[in-house]
Amino acid sequence: MIGLGYTLPAIISVIVVCVLEWAVLRTGLFRKPAYWISMVIVFAFQILVDGWLTKLSAPIVIYNERHTSGLRFPWDIPVEDFLFGWALVTGVLLLWVRQRPDREDG
Amino acid sequence: MDRWQYLLILGGCVLITLPLEFFGDGIYRQPVRLLRALTPVLVAFLVWDAIAIALGIWRYNPRYVSGINVPFMPLEELLFFVVIPLCGLLTYSAVNAVLGILRRLRDKTVERSRR
Repeated sequence: MIGLGYTLPAIISVIVVCVLEWAVLRTGLFRKPAYWISMVIVFAFQILVDGWLTKLSAPIVIYNERHTSGLRFPWDIPVEDFLFGWALVTGVLLLWVRQRPDREDG
Repeated sequence: MDRWQYLLILGGCVLITLPLEFFGDGIYRQPVRLLRALTPVLVAFLVWDAIAIALGIWRYNPRYVSGINVPFMPLEELLFFVVIPLCGLLTYSAVNAVLGILRRLRDKTVERSRR
């Protein structure tokens, strides 16, 4: 329940992604409605997939509860997973938006 | 069959999001851009994941993984960090495309009503 192993790095990952956008990349992604609509869709599917991965009756991923907050919602999903997932997907989206598109024939 | 569970879930994620490739400019059709966007984040999360596994913060139920391992983690976990960002990118690309279509439709309607 100390949360140092997962809760803390999960929070830090979100902060790192935000700082990366605001201080370095400045893509403006957070101001785009398409981004937030996408996040709602990703969030909904994360609940399905992550819910299956973490269900306590037959877990695929097993967490050492000493390193999490112990909060699991919805179903048995550790809430930290949502921070982890957000940082992962948003990090890649930020870099994607920053890159120029490949040429159409490429 | 149980030991393919994690792999099958990831396969399902790839299949379900695949049609989104055909909205807009696509993700798979821009491999260079994809690699440039994915690689730095992939490396950061693989390091995080490897450390967490080494410290016993999380582990994988041997019942539900293939048993194929890459350094520091099951193959499935490596694939997770490729598949999930791909799903996110495809979603964003498709949402952008749909919003673009809606915007053009609206503009056309506005134009027509002005005539």
